[in-house]
Amino acid sequence: MKEQKAYYISAKELAERGLANIPDELQSSKHLIYSSPATLSFNSPGAQGFGVKRAGLAVPGSVMLLVAPGCCGRNTTMLAELGNYADRFYYLLQDDTDIITGRHLKRIPKAVKEVVDFHDPKPSCVMICITCVDALLGTDMERVCRKASEYAGVPVLPCYMYALTREGRVPPMTAVRKTVYELLEKRPKKSTTVNILGQFAPYMDGCELYDILRSLGVKKINEISRCKDFEEYLGMAEANFNLVLNPETRLAAEDIAKRLEIPSIELTRQYRIDKIHKQYQLLGGALGVQIDDAVYYEEAMATVAGFAERRKDLRAAIGECCNADPFELALALTEYGCEVTEIYGTVSGENFAYIKRLAEVSPETRIYTNLEPTMLYYDCSECKADITIGKDAGYYHPDAPNVAWNQEVQPFGYHGLVSLLKEIEDRL
Amino acid sequence: MKGLLKVLSPFAPDQSGAASVFYDMDCITVICDAGGCTGNICGFDEPRWFGDARPIFSAGLRDMDAILGRDDRLIDKLKLVSDKLEADFAAIIGTPVPAVIGTDMRALKRMAEKRCGLPVVTVDCTGTKLYDAGEDEAFMQLMEGFAGSQADAGKGEPAAERRLGVLGATPLNLSNIKADELIREKYKAEGYDRVMCYGMGDGLDSVRLASTVEKNIVIAPSGIRAAEYLKEKFGVPYELDYPVIAKTVAEKIGEIKDAKVLIIHQQVAANALRAKLEVQGNCVAVASFFGMKKELMNENDVQLETEEAYCRLVEECGFDYVICDPLLRRAVKKDSYGEWIDWTHFAVSGNLEEEICAL
Repeated sequence: MKEQKAYYISAKELAERGLANIPDELQSSKHLIYSSPATLSFNSPGAQGFGVKRAGLAVPGSVMLLVAPGCCGRNTTMLAELGNYADRFYYLLQDDTDIITGRHLKRIPKAVKEVVDFHDPKPSCVMICITCVDALLGTDMERVCRKASEYAGVPVLPCYMYALTREGRVPPMTAVRKTVYELLEKRPKKSTTVNILGQFAPYMDGCELYDILRSLGVKKINEISRCKDFEEYLGMAEANFNLVLNPETRLAAEDIAKRLEIPSIELTRQYRIDKIHKQYQLLGGALGVQIDDAVYYEEAMATVAGFAERRKDLRAAIGECCNADPFELALALTEYGCEVTEIYGTVSGENFAYIKRLAEVSPETRIYTNLEPTMLYYDCSECKADITIGKDAGYYHPDAPNVAWNQEVQPFGYHGLVSLLKEIEDRL
Repeated sequence: MKGLLKVLSPFAPDQSGAASVFYDMDCITVICDAGGCTGNICGFDEPRWFGDARPIFSAGLRDMDAILGRDDRLIDKLKLVSDKLEADFAAIIGTPVPAVIGTDMRALKRMAEKRCGLPVVTVDCTGTKLYDAGEDEAFMQLMEGFAGSQADAGKGEPAAERRLGVLGATPLNLSNIKADELIREKYKAEGYDRVMCYGMGDGLDSVRLASTVEKNIVIAPSGIRAAEYLKEKFGVPYELDYPVIAKTVAEKIGEIKDAKVLIIHQQVAANALRAKLEVQGNCVAVASFFGMKKELMNENDVQLETEEAYCRLVEECGFDYVICDPLLRRAVKKDSYGEWIDWTHFAVSGNLEEEICAL
């Protein structure tokens, strides 16, 4: 009888092994990938949430033509049931001959024209989503898009849903973040306009970042998800600078800097209050101004203090299917008095620093990876949790209160921290 | 334009069909993909997944694996898993990636069997075909690989046991994850001691007994080739039947008389409902986007190949009743047909039929 046990490693042991010696079980390239029901949306670049398909439609008034074998578009049936998407997806299905010879490429301009003529009102642009087949065929989709654009009379852009390159230099979600800004054309700058780049849904209305920017004299804050129409989207080219709030948008920001000469500043979403404060000071430094965040800091500090007092020794399990880096969040909650018993996450160079720090303050925290085959045998009775954070953590501990924290409207800064702690307390 | 879908979305592909057949067996299933296909199968086309996760894995292929044809890595990964998980066999299912790079699935099978010490079946899916093609091949692989001769298979089993095999039983065909229970109940009431639904609720032990059943019931076109094989090899006869139906449809059958009716579903299911309706004086045409056997088609039946052909059929032929999945309704003009009766087909909409009953 084979042992039926999910693999994990303690934070202490992992930190001691070091980044160069991460166990094979934690490296997805070293084993078959378990598509856990807990994390499915994270395994497929086109699946739930803002995968490539939905993200590609972030440009107002756009439609998408998926050019792929039928299997690649199958789950779009589910997306189509969401508001505003049902009539924005079109498909040009590849057959066996297409995937060997690439003959489908000749049909794309005509298909785009047919879609443009059919769609009412006329789309602002057509996104052509291509998948692993064209990645392997080496299709020059930019050229095909230019031809289709000339033929159909609307802008046509490629969206690369290449699951094969998920761990490559330009993963699909990074590529699509760049794509959705490619229609912006150089415009005169307005010193009081700023773009927030990073997500396909807006940040929470109460986020102090908006107030802080306004206090610096910013009058217009653009986010692609808040653009009412294509013209407003095009207005993003007038920004004085871009705030990049998601590292996957770095490539897009670099492209915008090159093409439109709009510089960018990158901020990271964090839940440790001192780090949030420090980051605002650094932002002020970069902009050459003094940022006064005292009122937000004090309010958040009061919430943290109350939480720490009431919820001391709260046992939490944290997953990666949430709007946080699970290791950074684990570190924050540990600093606020919680005991983080388990983390379900993907170890990388970016978050290894958090793991090293976690090894000092919570060495016994168990680190699992959702994608490892033995997670099929995960047993929640081995390690109790009073609260779970993340959709995946909720799956693993079905009887514990869960804060999914995977809402589309994005948390950030002090407001994100306070909202999370309040939601945890509400669940308890 | 052929292949252009302007209103509908793609139906369940062949790899989903193949995975569905193996789902309830003690099988390590490896989808030979980069991750997206497995996500589609587990997250959309396999309704049993969220309640009863099974060992279905993605090969996690990356660009260099595909470009360099690193099959040995896949086998190494399968070995790692087979060392940790109990399984009767492993199944490797193709997708567009191996189809494009021309992976030799038979060689994969030999390599995997040798390295892992497990029986391995491979199903050469491409993602361009529909679920019934994948199911068809998976049923064949199972029967060719594991159905033993009557003399060997019956050993240790009760000699007087009356056994019935059911081919084609998958949620993709039946649109309900407990339909197999109803099927067993029905045939047990007819005197069978053991009703084996290959693909739903029965494992490899039942496949090994496939040559010893009195007969097979085939409930979908995807089971016909395997039934033919069992007939030819072991002399097991088969019949076509579809023993269950959505309650919403069952409640309407009595009302439909002397009418022109169109049924769109998988062919065996649609034919079974047609048989009921024709008794009441109805003129019934059957259509399907999935594979239809010519010998089971009537003169007015239609093999649908494009969205336009489907729309023309519904809008221009003056049907009093259209019985098919509600998702298909959005593609046709409202006033172009009489009454629409919902008959969910999971392979079309990814929705399950809430209540079913005997047909």
